[in-house]
Amino acid sequence: MPAILEVNNLTKTYPNGVNAVKGISFSVNKGEVFGILGPNGAGKTTTLEMIEGLRPITSGTVLLDGIKTEEQPYLIKQRIGIQLQSSAFFQNLKLTELLKMFADLYGAQIDAAQLLADVGLQDKAGFLVKNLSGGQKQRFSIATTLVNKPVMIFLDEPTTGLDPQARRNLWELIAQIKNRGTTVILTTHYMEEASFLCNRVAIMDDGKIVALDTPDQLIKQLLAKGFVPHTEVPPATLEDVFIDLTGKTLRD
Amino acid sequence: MNQNTRSFLALTKASLKMYYRNKGAIIFTLLIPVALLSMFGFLSSGRGPRIQVGLTNKASTEMAQQFVAALKGVEAFNIREATETDAAKELGKGDIDLQVIVPENFGKTEDGKPAASTIQTRFNKGRPQSGHMANMVIIQIVTGLDKKLTNAPTVLDVKSEGVAVNNLGYFDFILPGILSMSIMQLGIFGVAFSFVAMKASGALRRIQATPVHPVYFVLAQATVRLLVTLSTAVILLVFGTYFFGFHMMGSYVNFFLVCIIGILIFLGIGFAIAGWARDETQVAPVANLIQLPLLLLSGIFFSRDGFPTWLKTITDYSPLTYVSHALRKIANEGAGLTELPMDMIGMAVWVVLVYIIAVKLFRWE
Repeated sequence: MPAILEVNNLTKTYPNGVNAVKGISFSVNKGEVFGILGPNGAGKTTTLEMIEGLRPITSGTVLLDGIKTEEQPYLIKQRIGIQLQSSAFFQNLKLTELLKMFADLYGAQIDAAQLLADVGLQDKAGFLVKNLSGGQKQRFSIATTLVNKPVMIFLDEPTTGLDPQARRNLWELIAQIKNRGTTVILTTHYMEEASFLCNRVAIMDDGKIVALDTPDQLIKQLLAKGFVPHTEVPPATLEDVFIDLTGKTLRD
Repeated sequence: MNQNTRSFLALTKASLKMYYRNKGAIIFTLLIPVALLSMFGFLSSGRGPRIQVGLTNKASTEMAQQFVAALKGVEAFNIREATETDAAKELGKGDIDLQVIVPENFGKTEDGKPAASTIQTRFNKGRPQSGHMANMVIIQIVTGLDKKLTNAPTVLDVKSEGVAVNNLGYFDFILPGILSMSIMQLGIFGVAFSFVAMKASGALRRIQATPVHPVYFVLAQATVRLLVTLSTAVILLVFGTYFFGFHMMGSYVNFFLVCIIGILIFLGIGFAIAGWARDETQVAPVANLIQLPLLLLSGIFFSRDGFPTWLKTITDYSPLTYVSHALRKIANEGAGLTELPMDMIGMAVWVVLVYIIAVKLFRWE
């Protein structure tokens, strides 16, 4: 599969001397879901923001859909969709109005009702963002990234703070977007999410990529090193119990 | 349509919707100025700035009645009829500014000739300006009546265009002041809080994630504030004219032009604060620190004539002084823009200054 994104030796040093990203390189294939995992402060968000053209690059190159981010940040933004970690929107605007405004900013034509239906918010067209639940907010936020029919969308911790039902619901949405041919790059703290959604994952720590492969390969490599789980893994998890008891139905 | 224009229009439309759906902002920018204006309007229609005249008419002639009617016709006068002793007491207490006594023989004829008669006026030494002005008016009325009586041909005359002088009251002084205040508040508070809230919440960052340069959002916000300012001005003018008889002596075009320059200055200050601050808690103290002294020291509610010289000199340069002074000169005296060179230069310097400061202080995140 051809790469849609090539990141080469990307580095970020902030003016206060903090070296947040230390020369990382990776590529994302067209049509895949690529995950960046890592603890807080590992440099995930900074990496995304440099790729998106939201934050100046200290050194290294980013080639996205054939365009160098650093040279044409506005052209890059025209082709991608960005969901920020804190998904805040203008207050006092209805969902449809916000979607239309975003479409205008890209010069795009949209069917707002269809777009809302795609993310399961067809009944909320006249709502304000502040009246949505956490999961609905995230789904709306993803809808705003789709107004310009992007080649690639960036989701920064899309499921943080959601209940298990809302999280699973969002996984399905992301899988649908992938199935329609859009490349997805996301960051997450949840390993289960990464193994469910991601074709490949990069694990970041302290500004560096410490591993990059498919989830299965990473597990195999670990086992090959002779790793033994310190407890016996039960065939079901507590989350399975929770979902079994409370169901998969969305509560929002 | 050019994409930048389309983006600008979309952001302006969004900003306008956010504005009129924000009840607090509507109350703050439209209702409060109107309420303040009404308050001053009612105050000034009573005791307030009108000249209080205590009238004692001892004569019963037609001439005396004509004189009383003429006095009552002067808008700046508030006529109270009282006996001579009561009126004297009121003058002594400062309840009236001027006492007018029409003698018994006023307008009577003796032997077919008009009787010589003297109207006596006494005024409050503590408010000599009102007293003198009132005296002038009375002298004019009496002279007119005198001419009628003696049938003296009018040889010497003064053609005066100062029609306004007789009618202008405190309300005419206060309306441009309240409008200047709203312009300042709309500029500083109206933009600083909402903009910083969007910056702190990340809503502004979300706009930066689109291909639009965020400066278009700043322009959209400014455009909406400009529209709101002009609406406030129209509402205050219509309200003031209709209910309280506000007098516009000058050109509306010039008046609105000064409003626009004013909002440019105060929007610049608002954006400088919003651009510098990280969140709302940093906005309030700074905005108040700038706004309160301007509000109190720029002569918008009362004249700065009573200030010590040093304070008057400093406050001469306040942006709000320039704006309110220019609005007043236009509205009260019919001044054209070329007759206000100091105000125009002062405002121009402030516009340039605040935008340099705003650009220097601005942080997008």
